[in-house]
Amino acid sequence: MLKKGVTIKKIFHYTPAVVFLVILLSVWQFTVNKYGIPPWLLPSPMKVGQALWETKSLIWSHAQITLLEISTGFVLAIILGILVSTLMTLFPFAKRIFYPFLIFSQTVPLIAVAPLLILWLGYGLLPKIIIVILVCFFPIAVSLLEGLEVSDRDLLNLLRSMGATKWQIFYQVRWPHALPSLFAGLKIAATYSVMAAVIGEWLGASQGLGVYLTRSSNNFLTDRVFAGIITISALSFLYYAVIMLLTKLLLPWYSQLSQKTD
Amino acid sequence: MKTKKIFVLFLTIILSFVALAGCSKPAEQPEDLSETTIMLDWAPNTNHTGLYVALEKGYFQAEGLDVSIVNPSSQGTLEQLVATGNVDFGISHQEQVTTARISGLPVVSLAALIQHNTSGFASLKSKNIRSAKDFENKVYGGWDLPSETAILTALMQKENLDFSKLEMVNIGESDQLVALERDIDLTWIFYGWTGIQAEQRNQELNMIWLKDVDPALDYYTPVLITSESMIEQKPDVIEKLMKAVSAGYEFAIANPEEAADILIKHAPESDPEMIKQSQLWLSPQYKAEADRWGEQKEVIWESYAQWLFENELVPEKMESAKAFTNEFLPKD
Repeated sequence: MLKKGVTIKKIFHYTPAVVFLVILLSVWQFTVNKYGIPPWLLPSPMKVGQALWETKSLIWSHAQITLLEISTGFVLAIILGILVSTLMTLFPFAKRIFYPFLIFSQTVPLIAVAPLLILWLGYGLLPKIIIVILVCFFPIAVSLLEGLEVSDRDLLNLLRSMGATKWQIFYQVRWPHALPSLFAGLKIAATYSVMAAVIGEWLGASQGLGVYLTRSSNNFLTDRVFAGIITISALSFLYYAVIMLLTKLLLPWYSQLSQKTD
Repeated sequence: MKTKKIFVLFLTIILSFVALAGCSKPAEQPEDLSETTIMLDWAPNTNHTGLYVALEKGYFQAEGLDVSIVNPSSQGTLEQLVATGNVDFGISHQEQVTTARISGLPVVSLAALIQHNTSGFASLKSKNIRSAKDFENKVYGGWDLPSETAILTALMQKENLDFSKLEMVNIGESDQLVALERDIDLTWIFYGWTGIQAEQRNQELNMIWLKDVDPALDYYTPVLITSESMIEQKPDVIEKLMKAVSAGYEFAIANPEEAADILIKHAPESDPEMIKQSQLWLSPQYKAEADRWGEQKEVIWESYAQWLFENELVPEKMESAKAFTNEFLPKD
């Protein structure tokens, strides 16, 4: 009984957005038809849909490579981020050494570094994976670091007075406290990760969605460019949805809380 | 109170930055020059010398034009920018113009910068890649241009080879000669620039000249293009620009050393010695045996369009007559 009510409520919730989308697509289609806009300049939504459908196996074969680059880079960035932030919290001296470099990792201009990586490491998967790591590392590490810094002095003092070691404090208090921040950082990193891989591909690659975009653009097939853009957005959304799902599973109390405040 | 003070100070700093940024545009411009832009196909090189000569020697100014020569945004979008009128003039190539026109882009070639095709496929001599027969299981480094796929497919098909066995890699902005040493086996170069560069670096290359592979491939590259709407609306601007550009190239043909010095000024990242050698090699090629610089023959446009269509590389044959014009070249 309750489930049915929740589902109807959800459909109701998203209907205005869907209606708006349909209106937007109709206006787009109408404008292209009425003003005779050439397809190489602005393709109609129908043409874009056609391109998506017709090249779906091509898009998929390119997407697989990009997905591999993103997933590998993202997982490595998570591991690295957790490692570095944990170290910096447990050993304040480590924090003094590494914090400036952590900030530096974010200020380094990607557009300048990526070609260098291609130059040093060639046109394979490795430079793209490193670019993804570079882009994702900072949001993950910083949000985890912030989360681990429990600011409740009373709680920490209480535990210390009970004889808790640094490690016990970390395990019992800091880590659970940090999880919401970590997942917030993961969401941000997830949305950046796809573009990082695509930019890496633009600068030197033989396969991947970035390559699909470049080739379509160079062939003046703007409908395919749009199809590529939609695919890339869908991928970003996919990663975001995975993180959302994980949040629901691992931190049910947190996700319920954030839902109630909607 | 303190927060408010800090906020006001912060706002003042931000606003002064904005004001400074706004003030930095120089307003020193003579009123009677009309502005126009030429977008290059690549970083400045000896294919473009005539343009820079026209700029430096005031040929553009003499025609009442204030010309900006700008770097390309990325490979393949130049034709779109010219077609939409975002850029008045661009440096393109016959093979790009052909593909563009087939896709419906209204671009037109005004002049051939070099009379014959001085480009070809280069590889390290040690790899012994002499012809398309040796292309299988190799790696080609290019820019994902339709002409690359078209020409390489046709060349391999002629030798009964499978094009899918040639790996196509997009090398973006990488140095081609460095890439040849390591990541790729084959690439497309203008001999006058990259070939001379290789000579200077003592890098021995095998060169497969496109014009030797098939007469249809001895096409015009690079070419100066504009849009059909420019031709309709501002033919006088085109005529003036072409007069200046022609003079620039004629000067470069007659005075390669001085022309090289002008290019060196505008390509500070390049090796001056290499530019001088390149200019000496290229200057005689601009006009070659033609009567005037920039002259285009319909048969050249037609042969390539026909070749593409016969090899089933394009869905339709491009109409050559509409793709180019000599009407804006100086009459003498």
